[in-house]
Amino acid sequence: MGITLRNVSKSFGALGVVHDVSLDIPTGDFAVFVGPSGCGKSTLLRMIAGLEETTAGSISIEGRDVTEVEPAKREVAMVFQSYALYPHLTVFENMAFSLRLKKTPKAQVNDMVQEAARILHLEEQLQKRPSELSGGQRQRVAIGRAIVRKPKVFLFDEPLSNLDAELRVQMRLELAKLHREIGATMIYVTHDQVEAMTLADRIFVLKKGVLQQAGKPLDLYDDPHNQFVGGFIGSPAMNFLPGRVVARQGGMIRVALDGLGTELSAKSDASVAEGTAIKIGIRPEHLVPTEGGFEAVVDMAEDLGGVSYLHARLATGKDIVVELRGRRENFDGRKISLSADAGEVLLFAEDGSRLR
Amino acid sequence: MTSLRKFENGVLTIGTFAAAALWIFPLYWAFITSMRSEDRVVSKEAGVLPDEFNPAAYIDILWNTNLVSWYINSIGTAVIITFTVIVSGMMCAYAISQMRFPGRRILYGVVLASFMVPSQALVVTQFILMNDMGLINTWAGIILPQLIVPVVIIVYKQFFDAVPKEMREAVVLDGGGDYTLLFKVYLPLNWGITTALGIITFIMAWNQFLWPFLAVTTEDKMTIPVGITQVNDAFGVFYARLMSVALLGAMPVAIAYLIFQKKVTEAVMISSGVKG
Repeated sequence: MGITLRNVSKSFGALGVVHDVSLDIPTGDFAVFVGPSGCGKSTLLRMIAGLEETTAGSISIEGRDVTEVEPAKREVAMVFQSYALYPHLTVFENMAFSLRLKKTPKAQVNDMVQEAARILHLEEQLQKRPSELSGGQRQRVAIGRAIVRKPKVFLFDEPLSNLDAELRVQMRLELAKLHREIGATMIYVTHDQVEAMTLADRIFVLKKGVLQQAGKPLDLYDDPHNQFVGGFIGSPAMNFLPGRVVARQGGMIRVALDGLGTELSAKSDASVAEGTAIKIGIRPEHLVPTEGGFEAVVDMAEDLGGVSYLHARLATGKDIVVELRGRRENFDGRKISLSADAGEVLLFAEDGSRLR
Repeated sequence: MTSLRKFENGVLTIGTFAAAALWIFPLYWAFITSMRSEDRVVSKEAGVLPDEFNPAAYIDILWNTNLVSWYINSIGTAVIITFTVIVSGMMCAYAISQMRFPGRRILYGVVLASFMVPSQALVVTQFILMNDMGLINTWAGIILPQLIVPVVIIVYKQFFDAVPKEMREAVVLDGGGDYTLLFKVYLPLNWGITTALGIITFIMAWNQFLWPFLAVTTEDKMTIPVGITQVNDAFGVFYARLMSVALLGAMPVAIAYLIFQKKVTEAVMISSGVKG
């Protein structure tokens, strides 16, 4: 196993920021910690790096307990959001810094830096200083600095958030390729669920220092453990509507939607009593315009060509988003009737937990 | 350009020239005085214009005083003071800024407090201390009390505080300790301020008069500012010689200043709080 965390907690004084997190990341996996800001994902990463002490629990890398080991001896390399390049050194010297500290022979330093520069297409930039580079190149140098150390684990702390949108997409692809090329275990922290979905072999969703769910990106998308994960993964976000159970039979639950005068069916074997207040979750692409559904008035339609997002308001005043593909009508201001297939409707209890 | 604007510019130019003349005149006066014979300096004929080119005062100073020793003493003590103040100040500031240890805040408070004490208030105690240690009339006696320059620590700390935390963490992950951090990262990142502080400390040490004047009584251990007082003798004041030794004493600092002009401006801007 690449990385194993067991009951890891962290508190700053009385303030707990990470609570009892246990997780496993197999060697060679690309793991992504994702969650809203302040959820403890960066703290967790810094604990793995050894930059923050672990209050409770244990951290192992490749089977070795490193909980009390100093950062430099954990065989991890970190890429920071701000790059943290040494501005007074050339790109070559930036990448060679850790090797020089280890007193690596000169020829070997040269080989290792050249190799990293080749992987990252930085051969032309080696004699420049960081201030002469573009944002994307600086990011590559930061990654190069990690590569030359040949660490067991790469740690990325929101490495792309300082780049513009186009460059971010490009760097995302390069990171995915890099992972394929060197095959090391990588942990990546981001608040951007699109980055998480596109990069990860395995996503770990955190909220307020508690691990909500871990799994493959599409598993999290299709089968969220709770309302938070359902709402956080996916863009535009899942729609949640309050309702009440009216009937339960043969693996189906019928729910009356509050204030909308319609009912929806959901596939579920959950044992909920009739009359229980619950929430249903439907992804925007699963809402389809049909006769006899619940009605909504389109406030604004975003037509992106292949796909349109309808921002609509229900009779109860709640806003929902509907995704349509290949439609060419203009929906602005129109009243539409919506429904969803029973297989696509998810049920959540009042406390947010999933009813399966 | 309107005629009013022309007039304004003319007035400003004349005003600037007047101010410049006011500043340059003492230097000019010192120079022409040093080029006159002692008799002419005090005679009625000595006017504002240069009228004599007589290097007698300079020759007399070079042959009949300990000027060479004074130069050596001034350069030696100023260089040692500058080097020691910068290195110790930098290390102290690094510890206060970057290391976590009990009493850190109190230590910084002590540094700040010592900044508030005028050095003149300490000369008597310092003299007694140096005398008890047998250091009067030695370089060590001149140097030791001048090594306390809290402002160097304060300025360095501000600059070290401004280095991003990630820079430090990157070095820590790369396996570097505090010495690597200080000498390979924090110092190179702050070369500008280091040069500026170095020059200011050097000029301060070079110009120091009161303490070396008290700490040294034998002529061969004097620094240049103290040496100037030795040009007089029982028969009165020798203006030409006084001015020539003053000009010779100021020269190395002026040269150093011209070389590092930009850095000094930078340092002055920092110490006056308008960091650019």
